[in-house]
Amino acid sequence: MTIPLRARNLGYSFAEHLSPLFSGVDLGVERGEVVAIVGPSGSGKTTLCHCLSGIIPLIRGGVMEGEVLLDGTPTRALRPPEIAQKLGIVFQDPEAGLFFPVVEDEVAFGPENLCVAPVEIHRRVGASLAAVGMDAFAERNPHRLSGGEKQLVATAAVLSLQPDVLILDEAMSQLDDRGRDMMKDMIRAMRDRGKAVLLVEHDPENLDVADRVLMLHDGELATFDGNWDGFPRSVPGGSAR
Amino acid sequence: MTTPFVKGDYDPRSKLVLVLGLSSLAVVFDYPRILLPLALATVLCALYLRSGVLGSLVRMRRLLWVFLAMGIIQSVFTRGGQPLVELAGVALVTTTGLERGVSIILRIFIILVSAGIMTTSNPRDIIQGLYQWRIPYELAFMVAVAVRFLPLMREEAEDTLTALQLRGVRLEELPLRTRIRTYGYLLTPLIAGVLARARQMSLSVEMRGFRAYPRRTSHRTLVLDGRDYLLMIIALLLVSGAFVAHFRPGPL
Repeated sequence: MTIPLRARNLGYSFAEHLSPLFSGVDLGVERGEVVAIVGPSGSGKTTLCHCLSGIIPLIRGGVMEGEVLLDGTPTRALRPPEIAQKLGIVFQDPEAGLFFPVVEDEVAFGPENLCVAPVEIHRRVGASLAAVGMDAFAERNPHRLSGGEKQLVATAAVLSLQPDVLILDEAMSQLDDRGRDMMKDMIRAMRDRGKAVLLVEHDPENLDVADRVLMLHDGELATFDGNWDGFPRSVPGGSAR
Repeated sequence: MTTPFVKGDYDPRSKLVLVLGLSSLAVVFDYPRILLPLALATVLCALYLRSGVLGSLVRMRRLLWVFLAMGIIQSVFTRGGQPLVELAGVALVTTTGLERGVSIILRIFIILVSAGIMTTSNPRDIIQGLYQWRIPYELAFMVAVAVRFLPLMREEAEDTLTALQLRGVRLEELPLRTRIRTYGYLLTPLIAGVLARARQMSLSVEMRGFRAYPRRTSHRTLVLDGRDYLLMIIALLLVSGAFVAHFRPGPL
C-alpha cells in the first residue's frame, strides 16, 4: 500500500544563488499516523509544509529539489485542485483564509468547489464544525470572532474537504485550553479514521498527540530527542516564510 | 443550522434589478424635476427594504461636504438662464447653474442610497444570485473578495498609523506639508501588507479546490418568489416609464 505523504531527498532554496533552507529531507507519514515537526523560528517549517502540500513548486516559486509524493503521485504532476481532493493544509494565519461573512459559507466553500452534492455539503459543514467545537458558530461572522475561534473555523473549512492527509502549520498557536483540547481530539479522531496528519508545532504541550516527533534544524530533519532545555529557539537571521 | 434555501428577505437579484434601474435613471436624467421624485422613490425603496439610509448618510458625512462642494462648483461655473446672484454686474449663480448643481447632488444621493440597498443582502447570497444568473463564479467571487478587502485595507492602514504614533509621531501636531509626507510613508507598509494578505488568501483559495471543475455546486439555492418578481416588474416599469416619458415627442 502506498504511503499517503512522502518526501524524497527534498530540498529548497529561495533562489539558485542562495544556500538551501533545508536539504536531503526524507519523510513519510503513514495512514493512521500523526507526525510532529518542531524547530526554531526561521528554520523552514512553514516552507517545508508548503513543499509537502504542493504549494511549492505549483504556486510559489523558489528552487525545490527531490520530490514529494501524494498517494504515490509526484505533486509536480498535479494541479492544486487535484491536491485539494487529497490533502488539506491549515495555515498559521487564519485571517487570510476567511473571506465569507458567514462561518457555514466559509466551511462549505471547499466542498462546493469539489462539486459535492448539497445534501452532503450540509452534512460535512455540520460535522466539521462539530469536530472543532464550533457548531454553535455556524451563523456567525468569522471576522468578528477571536483569533482562536478563527483558527478553529479555518480548520473546519479544511476538514470539510475530507482530506486523507492533513497538514497543520502551528494551527493551535492562538487557541485557549478548551480549543486546544478540541483540536487534539480532532487529530486523534483523524488518526483513528486512518488519516495521515502532519503537525508543525512549537509548543511542547501539543506534542502528546504525535506518534513521532522530528526536528528541523540547520537545514536537516532528524528525530527529536525530546530535550527542550537545549532547544534552539530561533535561527539568527532566519526567515523561512 | 444550514438551510437549503434562503427565505424571508427579497432575493438579491430582485434588489439588483431595482438598484440598477434607479442608478441608471440617475445617470441618464439630469433634471431636478425628474431627479427629485426619483430621489424620493429611492429613499422609500431603501426604507421599505430596511436599508439603513440615514446611517449610511451619517457614515458618509465627510464625503457629503465634497458632494455639496461639487454642486456649488457646478452652480458657479455653469452659465445660462437667469442670473440669481450677481457681483459687480457678473452673474455668479444662474438658474441653469443652480439646476446643474442640484442635479449633481441628487444624482450622487440616488446612486449612494440605492447602492446601500445591496448592503441589506449577504454578500454570499449576492455571489450565489449572480452565479445562478450564469455570471461566471470567478467574477462573482472576485466581487466578494474585493468587498472583503476594503475593511482589510482600512485595518491595515489603522495598524500602520497606530504603529507610527506609538513611535512618538503626533500627526495632529505636524505641519500640513509634513503630515501629507508622513501619510505618504504609510503607503509602502500598507501596500506590502495588503499584497501579503492577498497572496496568503490566494493560497487558501487554491488549496481549497477553487476552479477544480468548470462548474461547482452550492449548499444554498436562491429561489425567486412572487414578491421578487413583483419588485422586478415594478423596477422595470419605473425605468421604462421614465424613458418613454423622456424620449416621447413633445415637451417634457
